[in-house]
Amino acid sequence: MTAFRRAEPAAAPPEGQPFALIGREGQRQVLTALNPAARALGLRMGQAHADARAMVPDLIGLPARPDQDRDALRRLALWAERYAPTVATCALFPGQEGLFLDMTGGAHLFGGEAALLAEMRARLAAAGVPARVAMADTLGAAWALARFAPGPEAIAPPGATREALADLPVAALRLQPAAVTLLGRFGLRRIGDLYALPRAGLARRFRGEAGLAVVERLDQALGAAGEAVDPVRPPPVYRAWMVFAEPLLDTAGVDHRLDDLARELARQLDRDGQGARRLTLTAFRVDGRAVGLSAGLSAPAARPAHLTRLLREKGLEHLDLGFGADALMLSADRAEPLAARQGEMTGERAVVAADALAALIDRLQAKLGEDAVRQPVLAESWTPERSERWIRASPEAAAVSVADDDPARPLMLFDPPEPVQTMAELPDGLPAQFVWRRVARKVARAEGPERLSAEWWRPAARPERAPRTRDYYRVEDQDGRRYWLFREGLYGREDAPPAEGEPPREPTWWLHGVFA
Amino acid sequence: MTRTPPQPLPLGQAEIFPADVCPLEEVAAAAPADLAAALGFALDRLAVDDGRPLAFVAPAAWRRERGRPFARGLVQAGGAAASRLIWIAADKEAQALWALEEALKSGAVAGAIGAALAPSFVATRRIDFAARAGGALAVLLRAQPGGDLSAARRRWRIASLPSAAHPFDPQAPGAPRLTAELTRRRDGPPGAWTLEKDDETGRFRVAAGLAGDGVPARRTRRRAA
Repeated sequence: MTAFRRAEPAAAPPEGQPFALIGREGQRQVLTALNPAARALGLRMGQAHADARAMVPDLIGLPARPDQDRDALRRLALWAERYAPTVATCALFPGQEGLFLDMTGGAHLFGGEAALLAEMRARLAAAGVPARVAMADTLGAAWALARFAPGPEAIAPPGATREALADLPVAALRLQPAAVTLLGRFGLRRIGDLYALPRAGLARRFRGEAGLAVVERLDQALGAAGEAVDPVRPPPVYRAWMVFAEPLLDTAGVDHRLDDLARELARQLDRDGQGARRLTLTAFRVDGRAVGLSAGLSAPAARPAHLTRLLREKGLEHLDLGFGADALMLSADRAEPLAARQGEMTGERAVVAADALAALIDRLQAKLGEDAVRQPVLAESWTPERSERWIRASPEAAAVSVADDDPARPLMLFDPPEPVQTMAELPDGLPAQFVWRRVARKVARAEGPERLSAEWWRPAARPERAPRTRDYYRVEDQDGRRYWLFREGLYGREDAPPAEGEPPREPTWWLHGVFA
Repeated sequence: MTRTPPQPLPLGQAEIFPADVCPLEEVAAAAPADLAAALGFALDRLAVDDGRPLAFVAPAAWRRERGRPFARGLVQAGGAAASRLIWIAADKEAQALWALEEALKSGAVAGAIGAALAPSFVATRRIDFAARAGGALAVLLRAQPGGDLSAARRRWRIASLPSAAHPFDPQAPGAPRLTAELTRRRDGPPGAWTLEKDDETGRFRVAAGLAGDGVPARRTRRRAA
């Protein structure tokens, strides 16, 4: 676990100069963060800005930006995924923000717990983030040690949590200030003081929320009660790793190693018969940030060549490596069994074709955007523009089927329909001429009407826009061009009587599509 | 994966309609208003039923200007391949050409239409190769004929024609007709045919009474629309 304080290199004050972030607390302006120089001069968090200025006239104050703090903490959490798949941010108390890393079974990868903590702190320091780190059996104990242990690196050996915490102040139990004060009144200042007290008595004596919190927090720190963390993102199941002694400075270096990462990831996926549905390449930068590049797959895939091609088409150059990256991770954030899908197919050739299609869709979507590649599905509506939807392409999409005796439908549909002006109109009949896109067209022959009733159950934004019955005609003009025209509304039969002074709603003509 | 070409018609007769399809053909509308007819003809050329879908590459503006593809109508015109159409919106010409090439050479599609493109000769060569590599057919669909060089084996110019007489209703349009003019072709002399949609098969065929008589289809000047 690392304790984190805001690092803002761009606006960092000169070393040794008292500096504070100023936030709002109700009507007052208070200090929300201090640097060591300011603390040394006796300023403290929560102090009114005016008081602080009176004490230290040359205090540099910048407005606090809690949202940016949160973002910075989250960015750091993503970077910390290089150590463990499950990383959570922790911002219980202002000025005591930090990260939780679930290192279960992972410390040996870094040469043991002490080496891990030292490396972590060195890397963070190099990135301009002074940090305190601690390792313990429970989240609560690690939190306490990281903030209240005498040194910046602390380890509570497995099973020795009670002893490690005994000398720390009760505030290390993540208690609200009110509870700390209350305990202080009873002379309970160290965590060890609480061990001797009977639990029931402790809960009874500290009635109300404060008392419950004391017992709960103590249990959590000692491992008697479990505690769940909410990771910044769900840990990927399959990940391939590569750490470099010398940081990679450009994407050519990333490109160079991508094939090895993909082979390793594919090996893991293959072992479990899984395929990736979403793929992320994460570069861990030396300045304490992680940058990623993700690509979705329309069908599970585990072929290394396909995985690398997708990422390359997404554009490795979008990975901003800053001053270099010293670790790369390729993860399958979402995986699905490969076999289940192939079982549905018949024959080897079909499998090959389906795989080729999935690969094609992935690559088109990676390059052109996920919405750029679409396929139609039929929908439950007889209004033509609603009768089919274009969804994101998927290799498993069902074919659109039409019945042999379906009436002819146009190749292209104008959505929304385009208005046409009509001339020589007969009531309930076809016009002899119409104007579409400023060109007059004579109706030579026509077939219709095909009457499509209004979907009256659909709510209309305004009553005068309520859907009306449509009469569709297949119209051919004097040059042999074929159009799909419709008249919306029936003459004087469909609409509610118009309001006083309003003209009645006339039927209108529209061009909806073109035939071959 | 390679498509079995339809049985070629007997050779030696220039006026016989080339029903077999080359890997890359160009289909241009004689006038912008004939684009729907050109699309119908293109779909007919690509009506391959081998279980693979059809790709349609077009700029995003196509939907607004020309209408959006209507799956039911496309399936009526293009059969099984069109029933699993993949619509690919690519705004930049380079992206569209890339998408077209990728689709063709992936072997995943039976055919691909590239709409509203003006590829260079080299680009058309690449498309031709990609189509051969993937065992697919490619059609470049243009809103009007262009005179630039192309590797397309056949270049068609399509114009709408008044449809055939309706068997029962003189007021109604009958089987749709169009003029397919082969303006350039590598494997024989150019020609023109009047095609008519066969009600049974849903495919275009040489209109009865005009087949084999060698008379080029009527050529009338049209108003551009």
